[in-house]
Amino acid sequence: MTKTDLQDRVLAFIGGAADDFNDLALAVFAFQREHNLPYRNYCGHRVVERWQDIPAVPTSAFKHLPIACFPVAEAVAEFHTSGTTAAQAGKHYFKTLALYDAACVPNFRAHLFPDGATMPLLSLVPDQPHSSLAYMIRRLGAQFVDRLAPVTEPVCVLGTAFHFLNLFDAGFRLKLPAGSRVMETGGFKGRAREVSKRELHRLIAERLGVTMIINEYGMTELSTQFYDRQPGSDCKDVPPWARVLIMDPATGREAQPGQRGLIRVFDLANLWSAMAIQTEDLGVAVGNGFEILGRIAGADVRGCSLNAEPQ
Amino acid sequence: MSATVQQIQEAIAHTGAARELLWASRTTDAVIHALAETARRWLPADSPWRARAIEQAPEPTGFSPEMVNAIVDLIFGQLTHAALGELLDRELGSRRVLDEFSLRGHLQTHATGPRLITHILAGNVPAPGILSICCGLLLRSANLVKLSARDPVFPALFVESLREVDAPLADCVAVLDWPRTETDVTKAALAEAEAVLAYGDDRTIAALRQLTPPAAKFIGYGHKVSFAVIAREAMTAEQLPLLAERAAFDISIYDQQGCLSPHVIYVEERGALGPRRFATALAEAMTAYQQRVPRGALTVEETAQITTIRTGYQFRAESDRRVSVWAPPTSNDWLVVYDDDPSFSPSCLNRTVFVKPTDGFPRVLTNVRRFASQISTVGVAPMNERVMAFAGDLAQMGVSRVCEIGEMQRPPLAWHHDGRPNLAELVRWTDVG
Repeated sequence: MTKTDLQDRVLAFIGGAADDFNDLALAVFAFQREHNLPYRNYCGHRVVERWQDIPAVPTSAFKHLPIACFPVAEAVAEFHTSGTTAAQAGKHYFKTLALYDAACVPNFRAHLFPDGATMPLLSLVPDQPHSSLAYMIRRLGAQFVDRLAPVTEPVCVLGTAFHFLNLFDAGFRLKLPAGSRVMETGGFKGRAREVSKRELHRLIAERLGVTMIINEYGMTELSTQFYDRQPGSDCKDVPPWARVLIMDPATGREAQPGQRGLIRVFDLANLWSAMAIQTEDLGVAVGNGFEILGRIAGADVRGCSLNAEPQ
Repeated sequence: MSATVQQIQEAIAHTGAARELLWASRTTDAVIHALAETARRWLPADSPWRARAIEQAPEPTGFSPEMVNAIVDLIFGQLTHAALGELLDRELGSRRVLDEFSLRGHLQTHATGPRLITHILAGNVPAPGILSICCGLLLRSANLVKLSARDPVFPALFVESLREVDAPLADCVAVLDWPRTETDVTKAALAEAEAVLAYGDDRTIAALRQLTPPAAKFIGYGHKVSFAVIAREAMTAEQLPLLAERAAFDISIYDQQGCLSPHVIYVEERGALGPRRFATALAEAMTAYQQRVPRGALTVEETAQITTIRTGYQFRAESDRRVSVWAPPTSNDWLVVYDDDPSFSPSCLNRTVFVKPTDGFPRVLTNVRRFASQISTVGVAPMNERVMAFAGDLAQMGVSRVCEIGEMQRPPLAWHHDGRPNLAELVRWTDVG
């Protein structure tokens, strides 16, 4: 199978065509092992017969090595993680954005507009180059706004926890029209105080009068996002072209049902980088989805509540 | 069991009364004697105090029984008659000044400890809490001790063992426990203190400082980190095994939870052996120490931190010769990472250490400078003239202690904890003349 055939097959699968996930995953694995040298070095001679055993690339690898199955000079886009310095930022290179787009838009609509409603999208997240979140928001057709102004028709507001809390800390309050909704995605960078998801959703409901609030879980190293199954649910849906395993950090094997562990994502839309991604987030399996329990403390800045002083 | 405001007030009254009695009945020498005798009773292999600590401490502290055993040696081995006396003499000029007016130049002077010291202990390592109580007793103060949820065992057992030796002295200490969220109880504990000794993270200390009445002396010991530097002179085949063993001890004891636990070992290049050889030897020494004194149980978060660092470096190591990883084949008991990026990398603790090459001491200073205010101890090898000059630079930067590798976790009793005296700041002087 050529690379283009494989991409077409993944695209068709994301689009809803019938296919076998395991089959497709093993084909993508074989392709990535062949075309990404750091990944090949890591995999060694491992024999892999089921998608669960595909070696996962730790997200930190994106900071140090090119995780791409094509010459990065040919990348049409690159998304960067928000490291404190350029050297620390992870880079995700894209040969094409077709897979990202295919995975992103319908999945968003299915979770924010299960009723098929259409309304303007307003983003509190600023438009920034190399930000995967900003790209996603552009792709969804949202308008970037500095602040929320009174509106007469329902709107869908997108923002990180950071943006909403900053707004509310300043005393902001606005009753959005009935039917309005909110997509919030984690992220407290630069804030002294974090709040729980429950508390954040309570604040959003109280200050904006919105009850349809959906949390999104996404990261620079992935092409697929995960959304709350429905408002008020802590369970993330996994779309058909992805899988999530909770790994027991002590054994490196899949955690027992109900046991907390590290979230590992298998994302076929990551065809040109790495399908199997080992995150630094803790989670637990819930039904056929998963719940996010948060990033492990000090994944970047480690030590006993050590505060690096600005250089 | 959580203490109430009323229990705190009763404890203050009770210890205060005990202190009055003590002033009439005990000299400083008698206090030194009682403390040293108490410590001595912990040391035999069959000591009942040791046995009780080994039985009770592993659960709340997370340390293995073997580790608790090693900690008993470390803490009580240093509480000798000579060391306690030296601490007083060095800080106050002479221990006599606590008992009577003593001639100092043209002055007769007399030192008095605070009426009441409130100690707020941290739970990461037990040593500072025990020493804090000893300091309070040497000054014949009444002592109100707030335990940490993570270590309710060592301070309480110590006071109990002291009671066996000198009950009136032990009556000067009340050991209590309450959640830090009980602000009213904390306020009651701080309200009448003449001095407050607080251990913990910066946020805890800032909150306690706020609650402490302005008239009281407040001394906060925040969290610190430590590192080590191996000079090229020490990197020889003869010295390597012992050096690695001593470094493994400094890293592994207290499962690296202490402020004196090294996070990074810098190894100077151009020695007879290269920095990577040290990492190899260290991995062997970590294995050996783990066999003797196993690391304690970890939470899922702690294990996930280690696994994340390990797999991240393992992935890189397959393609990048600048990094290497040593880890046990099937566990997270320890982790040695060699990384030629010289920046200071705080460890996730629990026996995870970075070995980094350096082309010289000036570079080390540059690499650690952004953590300058939070560095406690720098372990070095060997302690030669060149290293002493480096120690001068470290002092300039604000480091509070430089010692030989292998001694990082054994500060002398009379050391300046976080760069300050332990007793001198607590006493009040009365002069005649």
